[in-house]
Amino acid sequence: MSQPAQNAVDISTLSVQQLSALQARLTQELEHLSTSYQRLRAAQLRFRDCIRSIQQGIQGKSGETPLLIPLTTSLYVPGTLATPADSSSSSTVLVDVGTGFFVEKTPEDGIKFYTGKVDELAKNLLEIEKAVGGKNDNLRIVEDVLRQKMLAEQQAGGSASKQQRAQASVG
Amino acid sequence: MEEDQAKLQALSETLQKFQDDLQTTIDARQKLEAQQQENKAVQKEFVSLADDAGIYKLVGPVLLKQDKTEAVSAVEGRLEFIGKEISRIEGRIQELQEGSEKKRVELLQVQQKLQLAAQQQAGG
Repeated sequence: MSQPAQNAVDISTLSVQQLSALQARLTQELEHLSTSYQRLRAAQLRFRDCIRSIQQGIQGKSGETPLLIPLTTSLYVPGTLATPADSSSSSTVLVDVGTGFFVEKTPEDGIKFYTGKVDELAKNLLEIEKAVGGKNDNLRIVEDVLRQKMLAEQQAGGSASKQQRAQASVG
Repeated sequence: MEEDQAKLQALSETLQKFQDDLQTTIDARQKLEAQQQENKAVQKEFVSLADDAGIYKLVGPVLLKQDKTEAVSAVEGRLEFIGKEISRIEGRIQELQEGSEKKRVELLQVQQKLQLAAQQQAGG
């Protein structure tokens, strides 16, 4: 969404007001990016959990291996893996591919699917990281210029009021 | 002078309304984008599936078995709908942006007029 600035503007020519508006916007964008980053991180972790669940709970397990199935987060019931009668292969898993669709897959395919998702997210995470770095640099520069401007203004204002006071004392 | 004040007030209210509308439309646009992405991912996944793969659709709390062709056409239909919605909303965003820009210019004019009047009063 954030496009690189096409027409470069020398930020030292901007007024203090414009600079602080720019600063606020950059901060907001940065916040947005970091929440997105965290969310992607959480999603990636969830997919990794799915892979682990397949690897540890299903792959290579026969129908007799007892399992504890969570009904809620604190209630478990014992059960065994069902092996579909019509398929000669081992049990399949249902994978949520998004928008309410679930696809029956072999455990291997399931792992492949989730690995693909994790890799995709890793790519996105890298991109966001880059964007955050760029925005951070921009923000720092803007803050620097803003501070300089404020200082300059303060000094100018300070000397002006001193002059006034000097005049007042003379008068 | 007082008339202008009232005008200023009304203008800034309409401008505010424009911006609120704009924000909600932009949010809707973002939501559509997310849905489009999700549907595209599902479409991509369907392409790599065998024709006899078991596809289930979540309807309320139950999973219903669906044909691949059915599921593929459902996703295609959604993508088409979302695409149309996006172009509609883009148009609306543009409209709102133009409208709010116009109001902003009007507002600035009235503001300047008021400032000028205040200066003249102070000067005179």
